[in-house]
Amino acid sequence: MNADDLQKKVEEQILDSYEAMYRLAYTYVRNEEDALDIVQESVYKAIKYSGRVRQEAHIRTWLWRIVMNTAVDFIRKNSREIATDETHETGREDVYQDFDTLEALEILDEREKTIVVLRFFEDLKLDDIARILNENTSTVKTVLYRSLKKLRVRLTEGEMLYEG
Amino acid sequence: MKDERLEKMKQEYEEIRIPAELRRRVEAGIQKGKEDGEEIIRMNKKSKLIKFVRNTAGAVVAAMLAITIMANSGASIANAMMKIPVLGTIAEIVTFREYKDSTNDMTADVKIPEVSVKNEDGSVNQETTDAVNKSIQEYTDEIIAQYKADVEASGGEGKQLVDLEYEVITDSDRLFSIRFDKLQIMASGAESVKIYHIDKQTGQMINLKGLFKEDVNFIDPISDNIKKQMKEQMAADESKMYFIDSDMPESDFQSITEDTTFYVNDSGKLVIVFDEYEVAPGSMGVVEFEIPTDVIQDIVQDGFVS
Repeated sequence: MNADDLQKKVEEQILDSYEAMYRLAYTYVRNEEDALDIVQESVYKAIKYSGRVRQEAHIRTWLWRIVMNTAVDFIRKNSREIATDETHETGREDVYQDFDTLEALEILDEREKTIVVLRFFEDLKLDDIARILNENTSTVKTVLYRSLKKLRVRLTEGEMLYEG
Repeated sequence: MKDERLEKMKQEYEEIRIPAELRRRVEAGIQKGKEDGEEIIRMNKKSKLIKFVRNTAGAVVAAMLAITIMANSGASIANAMMKIPVLGTIAEIVTFREYKDSTNDMTADVKIPEVSVKNEDGSVNQETTDAVNKSIQEYTDEIIAQYKADVEASGGEGKQLVDLEYEVITDSDRLFSIRFDKLQIMASGAESVKIYHIDKQTGQMINLKGLFKEDVNFIDPISDNIKKQMKEQMAADESKMYFIDSDMPESDFQSITEDTTFYVNDSGKLVIVFDEYEVAPGSMGVVEFEIPTDVIQDIVQDGFVS
């Protein structure tokens, strides 16, 4: 596939999934303004570098990875402004959160958050998540276990791995 | 049966409000990406020139490093290490250099500190100063060389991040230690740690063995204690996993060595450090074991731990 066709495919995929991209970005930063910035930047990078996707089948996973990396970069750069997170580091054990809301995800680090969101909210397969994160599948599985434990969510192995 | 909390979270996730502005911002991103994307294609044609420039920059750095090595690798390091030590050494980091490179998705940021060790009378202890700096140099050179080789091998199209940070983690009456944390992300990430120690009483660089009295067996008591801690942690927390009592005994953790990475923490306890994958699956990252002082108090030299 030549570069123009590939760019077109990437564009189609973006137009198809930008709302999901936004939700993932929002989960990281929890405010509209920053989430919009992250999506715009991610879209920009995806189109700009669309020539680098090797296979059409990987476009979707690749988009997720760009959003994740862009969001993580964003958070690092702005950590002083965003971070109320110091309390997380020191007070993680003591803080009793309302576990019925999305706020609960704040207890997780970025990688854990990504895995939980993609697995359970976006229904991606562990193998795909592993590809997005450049990890092997068993690592993703381990992190997922740990994250669910932190969230005090109880699932059977089957629910964790296979069901939507 | 699905977990209720998770279901509620999912519901809330799906209800995250999509701002009206989103579509416009996405289109703006696509537009700008297309504009800049063309530049990239044009630049590719010039890749030979870019590569040339890059190589030249690389050569400059290499030359700088080479000069430093020569300046530091004075003739008599081996002899000097045997000299009778001076009490009350002062060790400090006087400056640092930085190797930075960014080639598409490959980036390296390696900080290289320069250490100065002074005798009690304020004169420079050239031997230890050179020995420490030379060790650090060899360590950082290897990291940089590996990165350059990876860039070369992939034609600059690979994905890699190498980051080396350092920190003085101990500066007590007896011990001065610099810790290096290396983060390397390639196909998968790997974390590793390197720590250099100077015994301020003898003014020499030491490894783990240097903490202990002569001819004592420190390997077994520490290794046994680590194995015990591994088992206890795995029993208490199922998310913890170490290479011990596994189906593959040959890859299980056997024992530490004289050169195993260590440091002394704020509470004066000996801490043994293992790189990612060394004694545990990658998900555990770098792992550390604090060794209770009563395990080693009969064999350790005075002043290191408390």
